[in-house]
Amino acid sequence: MTIILITLLAGLVAGILSGLLGVGGGLLLIPIMIFLLGMSQHAAQGISLLVIIPTAMAGIWQLHKAKMVNYNLALYLACGSILGALISSTFVQYIPAAQLKLIFGVFVIIMGIRTILKTLKS
Amino acid sequence: MDNKLKVISFGFIAGILSGLLGVGGGIILVPLMVTYLGITQHIAHGTSLAVIVPTAVAGSIVYGFNGNINFMPALNLAVGSILGASLGARWMKKIPAKQLKQLFGVFLVLVGIRMLIS
Repeated sequence: MTIILITLLAGLVAGILSGLLGVGGGLLLIPIMIFLLGMSQHAAQGISLLVIIPTAMAGIWQLHKAKMVNYNLALYLACGSILGALISSTFVQYIPAAQLKLIFGVFVIIMGIRTILKTLKS
Repeated sequence: MDNKLKVISFGFIAGILSGLLGVGGGIILVPLMVTYLGITQHIAHGTSLAVIVPTAVAGSIVYGFNGNINFMPALNLAVGSILGASLGARWMKKIPAKQLKQLFGVFLVLVGIRMLIS
């Protein structure tokens, strides 16, 4: 029961961040699944990808009405990203979890600092 | 044509990271669109979500074939996250671009630090 409540609440928070920030919510879902639900990195990543699909669709439903989705641009980005995702998710099975976590953390921090610096300059 | 190639290659980078990390790729798609394609912060977020859907479908098919997909926790999480995404997207429409960008940056740094500490 507690696990189900934690899971629903985790989904809710990840969803709010997804709709708000235009991300899938996987960044929040993965650590929650690992630390609170005791899953392995690889299992958490697989579930994260699955949860992201309906979550992003719910966000699009809201933003489509406000004309905040550029479908033409999305089409070209998706051509590249589907190819990239197929290649890397095939390859990921052979990478150890510890290294994955490190890549994950470093990548996110660099992107965050870059984004903040940009708003301070403007 | 040059621009289309640039856009497709941005998508490719996001897709690589998506499959590798199990995320949607929005964390890289949004800054790339805003910085290099001149897309406004709000439209970048909406467009990012539209790219995330097919990318996550492609990634989860491969994860599924490798036996790394567990449907029950995914279903439980999705119930909350669908509701949350509707609320978050409604809220986002009301936030000015600069604050939205700052919120985005702070979110990335916090999540990144947490991952490294663990």
